[in-house]
This record gives sequence, C-alpha cells and structure tokens, in this order.
Amino acid sequence: MTQGQSVEKILVPFKSVPDPYAGAAASTSKSVINPFDEIAIEEALQIRERGEATEIVGVTIGAPAVDEQIRAALAMGIDRAVRIDDARALDPYAVARILRALVEKESPQVVIMGKQAVDDDSNQVGQMLAGLLGWPQATFVSKIEFLENKTRARCTRETDGGLEIVAINLPAIITTDLRLNEPRYVSLPGLMKARRKPIETLTCEQLGVTVRPMTTTLSTSSPTRRAAGTRVGSVEELMAKLKQEAKVL
Amino acid sequence: MDFAWSDQQRELLDAVGRFASKQLDYDVIANDRDAVFNHDAWKKCGDFGIQGLPVPAEYGGLGVDPLTTVAALERLGYSCKDNGLLFSINAHMWTAIIPVLDNGTEAQKKKYLPGLCNGTLIGGNAMSEPNSGSDAFSLSTTAVKKGSTYILNGSKIFVTNGPIADLLVVFVTMDKARGADGLCAFLVEKDSPGLDVSKKIEKMGVRTSPMAEVFFTDCAVPEENLLGKEGAGSFMFTKSMTWERGCILASAVGSMQRLLETSIRYAKERRQGGQSIGKFQRVADKIVNMKLRVQSARHMLYHCAWLRGQREPVYMEAAMAKLHISDCWVKCCEDAIQIRGGYGFMVEYEVERELRDAIGSKLYSGTSEIQRSIIASWLGL
Repeated sequence: MTQGQSVEKILVPFKSVPDPYAGAAASTSKSVINPFDEIAIEEALQIRERGEATEIVGVTIGAPAVDEQIRAALAMGIDRAVRIDDARALDPYAVARILRALVEKESPQVVIMGKQAVDDDSNQVGQMLAGLLGWPQATFVSKIEFLENKTRARCTRETDGGLEIVAINLPAIITTDLRLNEPRYVSLPGLMKARRKPIETLTCEQLGVTVRPMTTTLSTSSPTRRAAGTRVGSVEELMAKLKQEAKVL
Repeated sequence: MDFAWSDQQRELLDAVGRFASKQLDYDVIANDRDAVFNHDAWKKCGDFGIQGLPVPAEYGGLGVDPLTTVAALERLGYSCKDNGLLFSINAHMWTAIIPVLDNGTEAQKKKYLPGLCNGTLIGGNAMSEPNSGSDAFSLSTTAVKKGSTYILNGSKIFVTNGPIADLLVVFVTMDKARGADGLCAFLVEKDSPGLDVSKKIEKMGVRTSPMAEVFFTDCAVPEENLLGKEGAGSFMFTKSMTWERGCILASAVGSMQRLLETSIRYAKERRQGGQSIGKFQRVADKIVNMKLRVQSARHMLYHCAWLRGQREPVYMEAAMAKLHISDCWVKCCEDAIQIRGGYGFMVEYEVERELRDAIGSKLYSGTSEIQRSIIASWLGL
C-alpha cells in the first residue's frame, strides 16, 4: 500500500517555545522546538527514511534568535529551513495566514505540525491553515500511512472516545499527537552537517501577507503555590476534617 | 585571554548535555551493584559522536579541537552518573583511538578508526603487567619476529575494557636488554589465536567498566598490525600518556560540578535546629571548598587542552591536571557524603558510589606519586 512514487515535499512548521522541562532551577530561559512539532519533524524524517518522501522543509516564525531551534531541526535531519522574520507575538490566525502564503510558495503535498504549542496551548493553527487552504485535515494523529500511490493518507486520530481512523486526500494538513513517535536526539555529526544546510529568511512583506496581532497579552503569571498539606492521625480524624473543615461530605 | 565559548561550541556542548541527561542516566545503581557494562549506552554514545570527537572526519570522527573535546566530556560527566561507562569511553579514546590516530599507518587508520569512532568497535590498552606498573618500561611481555608475523608471549593486568574489547593496543619488548628502546606496540584483534582474556576483575569503583587480565601464548600477530616502528614503543606510550593524563578526568570535572550543585540543594533543603544546614559555617565551608576545587580543576583541564590545541608540549601540564583533578574529585566526594550525613553513606543517595569511582583516579594513568615525580623532574629536581 505504500508503493509507487514518493511524496515530493513535506512542510513542517514548528514553533520555538520556552523549554518546558527546564524546571524552576533553570537560571536562563532556554528555548526549544515545541515538543509536538518535534514529533512532526521526526515523523517527516521517518517517512523520508522509508523512501516515501523526497524533501523535508521546515518553517518557523521569529527573530534571528530562533535560528538555534532551526539548526536543531536541521541537525535532526530536515533538508532545509525557512525563517519568517517577524519577532511579534502573533496569534494563531496570523500564523495560519503566513503559513498559507508559504504553502502556496513551496507547494508541499503534506504539512505535518504539532497539534498545539506547549506555551499557549491554542491548538488552532493546523485547523485554520486547513480552512484557509481548503485542504483536508487530520488532527491529533498517532499513526500515518500513505495510500493509493500517495494520493491519500490513512491517519489514526486520538479522540476522547478512543481511536478514529480517517482517510484524507492529499495535499492535506496533519497535526501530531504525543504517541505518534519518539523524536530522535540531535547527534553531533548531525549538528556538523546542519551547519552547511541553508536557512532562508523571508519577511511577511516578501510573502505578500499583512498580519497584525488581534490579541494582546496583558500579563502572564505562574500558578499560585499550594500550601503544604497536613497529616492526619486516623481515618476518623480525616472524616471529621472532610465534614467540618472542607465541608465536602 | 578569551574565556568565552563560540556559538558553535555552545551549541555542541548543549547538545551533549541534552543527550547525556536523556539517554544515558539509567540503571546506574543496579549496574554498579552487579558490575554490568551498559552496552546500549556505549553504542548510543558512538552514534551520537562522543568517541570520535577528536578524530578527523576522514576517519569517521568529528575533528573537534582538544579544548572543545574535553569540555564535551565534562558535560557528559555532569549529566551522566555512570562513571564506569565514562571511564571505559575515556580509556577507549585516549589509549586506543589516539595511539592509532597518531601512529597508525593509513591502512590501520582506515580499518579501525571508523568503527572505534561510531561505537561498533571497543578498544583497550594493555600496558601494565603484574611486575611492571609505575616502572612501565620494565615490562616483560615479548614479541619475536617470525616470517611475516610477530609472536607475542606474556601477560597483562588491569586491562580496561579487556572483557569487551575488539581491539587491544599491546605494548611489548623485542629486546629487554635495550630497556625502553626495545619496546614496540601491536594492534591485537580479539579473536587472535593465542590471546586469552580472563573473566572480569572485581573492583572497588567504576564497576560498570569491565577490566581483565590478558594472556598471550604464542599469539601470532600479522606484521601489518605493528603500530609505529619497532623500538618506538616508549615514545608512543609517553606521547599518548599526555593525552590520557590531560583528558581522562574531563568527565570528573563534570561529576564534581554535579556534586557541588546537588550538595548546595541538599544544604538548603535539609533543616536542623530550625534552619537550613547550609547556614552552619562548617557545612558552608565544605561547599565553598568544593566550589574552589571544581573551578581550579576546570581551569587546569581547559588550560592543558588549550595548550595542546596550540601544539605546545603538555608533559608537565597534563601531569598537573591529572594530579589536581583526581585529588579534588576524591575530596569533593568525601565532602558530598559528609554534608549528607548518614544519608550520604546510603547507596540510594548516589554519592558513596561517586567516592568509590573517584578513588581509582589517583591510581590509573600513573599514580599521584608518579605525577608528582614527573612534575618535579620538569622543575629540574
């Protein structure tokens, strides 16, 4: 079922986010590739390694500082990358419009991206991009197979009720869920090779898109710390506290 | 003087840290207890590029300069607590890869280095003998040329990676009367007829790094496996020893940094007498001493590697780095245990193992006493 010619190009949009695993001890705010997007990159690499795709192009939006995450993606193995030079905090609709312009320029057969970014948890860009392009979409995907000479894809979706298997015509948008794969780590030889791979920089103007943020972030704050619990001596004491203090019984 | 890393160096070092903390740090307590070598982690390191760090790309390595190499190994030691694995990697790099890279023929380099770099081959070094340790050049394992082969006879002890090695760099004498000038070295493959490897030797520390005795009984080695020239053994050994002494404890500096950080955390969290124990001067003093040791050890490591990168001789600097870092490592481990009190004595807290691992560093690659002799002789004494 996976015979025939390969998908020519996979586009993988990814976002740079604060390292979610850095923990409170981290003294610097280090950025990483959004973990769901990393899964998308890994899936694209595996598809190419199976001989089912020819080229993988990564794209991200941000200031020159995100080049570090672009190099990480190149080091994982994507072929080339585009950075849309825009340092503003863009909302999902703006991001989707920029990506639409890039999709029209690059003409990939498949766009694979994370189902959401772990910094804002919006979970909208993939769906909006599909809507703007008029392409089919398969979201929260945990398995991808290509069908019928790469004209269709069969995707397993993780839903609240269980697994749903859908077939979609290509070109299409696929957003990744956690269980799709385990992303590879960047190896040092990969890192060395990445230094020779091209990073193209484009502006929204060059893509012919004018976007303006429609949402303004007023403030962000950490969750309030919970006070330490107390230890009770007996079940009776626990029941009494639940009834009299917590008033939940 | 420039103490800053370049962007490329930072990128490489960050990648090592991420790799080591996510891929290597598991099962260390059980593997130490059972003296098990972590083959899987070894191969991961090879694929990741660790073993080939200083080897030029044409032989399958990364061609990274000595300073970046030791800094990468330091990161590895910071994020990976399996000191035995790191000891095996270091022995492999400095006592097998470097001698082949520095002295091998083109054919030897092409044959062995790619596998040694990517982790499919494991290297070891056979120098010490039951009766020649610090007095290394008095060794008595012999080689006699016979047609197109050399016949090796004798035995070697404390061969790191011995039980798992695919390739051994073996030092022998062709003429005991000529002393150091009679030495030469061979690349001996594991399946060579007449080569026997003992079972694993039980050790106090670095227990996850297997060590063995090896025996040569009319072991025939083809002449193309002579490393360097006949009689050049002592020169090659002395040269590769400076690499070994200058680099083998890079990971120890990372380990010390980790011990420092975990000890600070413990001293802040552990409360006695109504305050954090870090507020007690006698605890704080220990931590300050740890900090001083890590910093000075790191500077000696980097300086020696930097000099090597400048192609300067490092005979004395390597001995000084080896002596100082090993001393600091043992003392840091003792302090880390003492700060934790009774908990530090418990296996679960993972600092008693660190001390057992550290003590060997004052013995291998020349004892601390030998390092002092070297330094004294370079000072003209």
